[in-house]
Amino acid sequence: MKILMRSVDMICCTNTDGVITPIKFRISDENKEYKIIRIDRILSRKEEKLAGNRMLVFTVQSVINGSECRFEMKYEFTTCKWFLYKM
Amino acid sequence: MERTILHVDVNSAFLSWEAVYRLQQGSQVDLRTIPSVVGGDEKSRHGIVLARSIPAKRFGIQTGEVLWSARSKCPNLVVLSPSYPLYVQCSDAMVSLLQEYSPVVERYSVDECFVDLTGYCGGRSGIDIARELKEKFRSRLGYTVNVGVSVNKLLAKMASELEKPDKLHTLYPHEIPKKLWPLPVRELYLSGPRTIARLYRLNIFTIGQLAHAPVQLLQEHFKSHGPAIWKYANGIDDSPVVPGERVMKGVGNSTTMPYDVDNEKEALLYLLSLTETVAMRLRAKSMTARVVTVSLRDADLSFYSHQRRLAAPTNSTEVLFSEVKRLFLEAWKREPLRHMGVHLSGLAGSEFFQTSLFDAITPPGRKALDESIDQIRSVHGTQALVRGSFLHSGIPPLCGGVHEAFPNMRSLL
Repeated sequence: MKILMRSVDMICCTNTDGVITPIKFRISDENKEYKIIRIDRILSRKEEKLAGNRMLVFTVQSVINGSECRFEMKYEFTTCKWFLYKM
Repeated sequence: MERTILHVDVNSAFLSWEAVYRLQQGSQVDLRTIPSVVGGDEKSRHGIVLARSIPAKRFGIQTGEVLWSARSKCPNLVVLSPSYPLYVQCSDAMVSLLQEYSPVVERYSVDECFVDLTGYCGGRSGIDIARELKEKFRSRLGYTVNVGVSVNKLLAKMASELEKPDKLHTLYPHEIPKKLWPLPVRELYLSGPRTIARLYRLNIFTIGQLAHAPVQLLQEHFKSHGPAIWKYANGIDDSPVVPGERVMKGVGNSTTMPYDVDNEKEALLYLLSLTETVAMRLRAKSMTARVVTVSLRDADLSFYSHQRRLAAPTNSTEVLFSEVKRLFLEAWKREPLRHMGVHLSGLAGSEFFQTSLFDAITPPGRKALDESIDQIRSVHGTQALVRGSFLHSGIPPLCGGVHEAFPNMRSLL
């Protein structure tokens, strides 16, 4: 997997216990066109606190252009931003 | 009961924190593995190395060195500007990790903490806990630390500085002759360049020689500081670990001018601008100061200062500036100046004022004026109300950085 760290628009769900689950996001490609990617499975979730900065790291799986892909998403608590971290 | 004290010191703090943060944000390069430094802004002549990576150290780059000299040693050097809010965040994370082990955590500086584990070891040894702690710093926060384990703060601090980076050292009293005494005396805590020069004249070159020197001799040469350094050399220290921040003993602001200042008018404007900042900070803390110090650094980087104790404590910008001005005119040797600073100490609360028969404006009047100015500046920004003398002068009406979130940060710079 390659590190991308691109910020994305995300639709996620926060349940009554405060657990955050990403559902689908959109990201612009080279032609500035948005591509919507639905997250099919969450394989793992962990919290990291590197340099005191809290982030949630999700390893997820989706079907992109007909093939199954695995990638990592990050959520930064201080900025409320979502990132496509590694693909 | 024997105490268990840890001293935790982050290795190349500013640089490690920058490196880890950038890795988390997707950077492909670990700054710790390439020659890199954190340094100030060269354009405004604040260009000194604040922290360096291990590869930069191999090029002979020193902390405190000017950036152009560091660049001449290593042309490919990566220079990063400091980001203080990040360092405060990292420092807070460090304290909260340490608080998982003991509530008695003292933040000694932005990257150093003392932890008193006495009664909180849960049947384990201090070394065991220190080892686990070191591993947690690496895995959870992403950077390495040096940990010193001993029975008091002094020995713990000396231990953590024995060998770097990423090391765990013990310095228990029985290890003092082997580990502490062979070290050069300049390594001892609280022995600055002046003390060292005088110790050399007494033929004291190692900590061991100092530890065996007669206390009376040291008392004669160093007054009360003599027995204190003798105690340190013998590993004697019973100061407690005080949780929380250190008590503020003084406020100061200083600035390096973008060019060398050689005329009185401009120098006084810079001092006025510094006094404005420092007096505002003093009032924000509801304090008054009694001792005013003006420090100057000339173009050759030689440093001198001049201070005076006021008849009565004050926090009025006007009174403080008149003293600053007097001190400056007495001390200045008319050479071009590179750096100036104003420092206030002898702090006390501001509930009471000493009145004087000879004041032009009464203290309550001055207080009301200063309060109004502070209020306007806090609501509308520091530039909302400035003195006319700064108009068209090119000199900022309030200068000197303020990192209120963590005042101890300044001691590092």
